[in-house]
Amino acid sequence: MRRRAVLAGCACAGFLARSNAFGQAPSTWAMPPRFAPPELASDEGGLWAVMDREENRLKRSAFLLKDQALSEYLAALVCRLAGTHCPDIRVYVMRTPWFNASMAPNGMVQIWSGLLLRLDNEAQLAAILAHELAHYISRHSLERLRDARSRAAFATLMLPFGLLGAIGQLAAMAGKFAFTREQERDADRIGIELMAGAGYDPRQAAEIWTQLLAEVKAGEDAGGDPARSSVLFATHPEPAEREADLRERASAIAGTRELALGADEYQRIVRPLRRSMLEDELRRRRSGESIHLLQRLITKSGDERGELRYFLAEVHRQRGSDNDVQRALELYDAATQSGNPPPELFRGRALLRWQQGDRVVAVADFQRYLELSPQANDADLIRSYLKGN
Amino acid sequence: MRLVVLMLCVAVAGGCVQMAKVGPGDVVIRDRMSAKLESPWNRYESPHAGRAEIWTIDGLSLDRVDFYAGIAQGETLVEPKAGQDKALPRFRAKMEPQEIVEMVDASIALDGSVFRLDRLAPSRFADGDGFRFEFVHVRKVDELTLRGIGYGTVRDDRLYLVLFRAPRLYYFARNVAQFEEVARSVRIVR
Ligand SMILES: [Zn+2]
Repeated sequence: MRRRAVLAGCACAGFLARSNAFGQAPSTWAMPPRFAPPELASDEGGLWAVMDREENRLKRSAFLLKDQALSEYLAALVCRLAGTHCPDIRVYVMRTPWFNASMAPNGMVQIWSGLLLRLDNEAQLAAILAHELAHYISRHSLERLRDARSRAAFATLMLPFGLLGAIGQLAAMAGKFAFTREQERDADRIGIELMAGAGYDPRQAAEIWTQLLAEVKAGEDAGGDPARSSVLFATHPEPAEREADLRERASAIAGTRELALGADEYQRIVRPLRRSMLEDELRRRRSGESIHLLQRLITKSGDERGELRYFLAEVHRQRGSDNDVQRALELYDAATQSGNPPPELFRGRALLRWQQGDRVVAVADFQRYLELSPQANDADLIRSYLKGN
Repeated sequence: MRLVVLMLCVAVAGGCVQMAKVGPGDVVIRDRMSAKLESPWNRYESPHAGRAEIWTIDGLSLDRVDFYAGIAQGETLVEPKAGQDKALPRFRAKMEPQEIVEMVDASIALDGSVFRLDRLAPSRFADGDGFRFEFVHVRKVDELTLRGIGYGTVRDDRLYLVLFRAPRLYYFARNVAQFEEVARSVRIVR
């Protein structure tokens, strides 16, 4: 019913004009006009009210990543993709070092910082947003609401304030009435049309999955538990299948046209936030995944590899097997050679040297650390090491 | 905040959280630590208490002290859940205080909470050399900001660690002195 209504409502000339530019792959889909807010007394109205309440909690959350440049960037990108729906969509970035994005039926999008850390370029971010927008534009949650089984799960969302647990989890709980596989395929299909329509290379949508699958595999190879160690929040099933499907469709749409990646634009916005995102990444203690991720970032980054090498060294130091200690020392050394090494590099190397009994070298590094970072939170402890020698 | 108190009370009335009074006087903690108490505390009695012995004055979500009494080489601070084992940081006897604090950080971050170290310095603890640290813990489940103090030392290749945490507003100031008194009295039982 809903699908037919969506297909019937193809009076959205702006998008059609753009999608005609695809040439090779004729679009089977057209942007519906902007939705009116639902009746409060309806099922959909009830769900919107719950999500609006959740959004108000989210706005005050301690885990909300507040960065004006990023917010403006995301809002502009959404408007490039969502066309007429642009005023109805809000994007929130949450400080959580895992890979996830979600769309609530009221137009609230959540993106986790672990996702931003893992993307290469603006086209990939557009792919994520376009997929989530496709769920919204196709009103997938309303479809689910009409399904009897998901109605029961929906009822749990209506619990009184506070009992729902952590802020932002509500959208994840909505995973109990998660989108069907069919809806996910729809969102993938519509998503790549949206991103190509906005001028982005849709093959980057498949590239995201390729990267994630490789990272998950690296984690498993390092002895992680596949069920739990995944960087993916397990809402999207069958990633390998989706990757192949996306790649095929995207190639057809892209054809031989020149489409944008926007790597520099993306890095300009995300790069200033990278350090704190990497600190959070280390806290996951998924060393196999983190090592894979950092190696990929090092390969792709032109300059300023010092910071990335430092974090890679830290992963090895924290894991702490015999091989890791050697590898960490090599990486610390390499990081000192590259531009802009963080002061903590000298502390990390000093700790390993100290434990190896190489106290002279360790003391020099500790002193360097204190010179660069005299207000460090562990400065008193470091001074006590120096006094003892 | 009021809600948290209410929920705790409901749980206590329902018999979910069982507490036993400890002190005043000499108290033994998990066979390997002792403390001398001037006033009584409440000990959390549960098979799910995990690696630490847990005490509180006003209730677990308002103030708590976790005692880790002799964590051995290769052991974790938190009880591993199924499949989580590999990701948990493990104690190594040659760890420096920074690395022990990193282990606390990663353990707290497991549920998505945020840990921030404010200060780490040498300190007397358990009648010998040790370290003391101050930290902030933003609890994921209710986004309450907790202030914390930890004391630790490694003796005979075992980690002895005491952590105090309480909401930054009111409860930290209310109970920190009593915690410091307990921390000063901690001894290692051999
Ligand atoms: Zn989806």
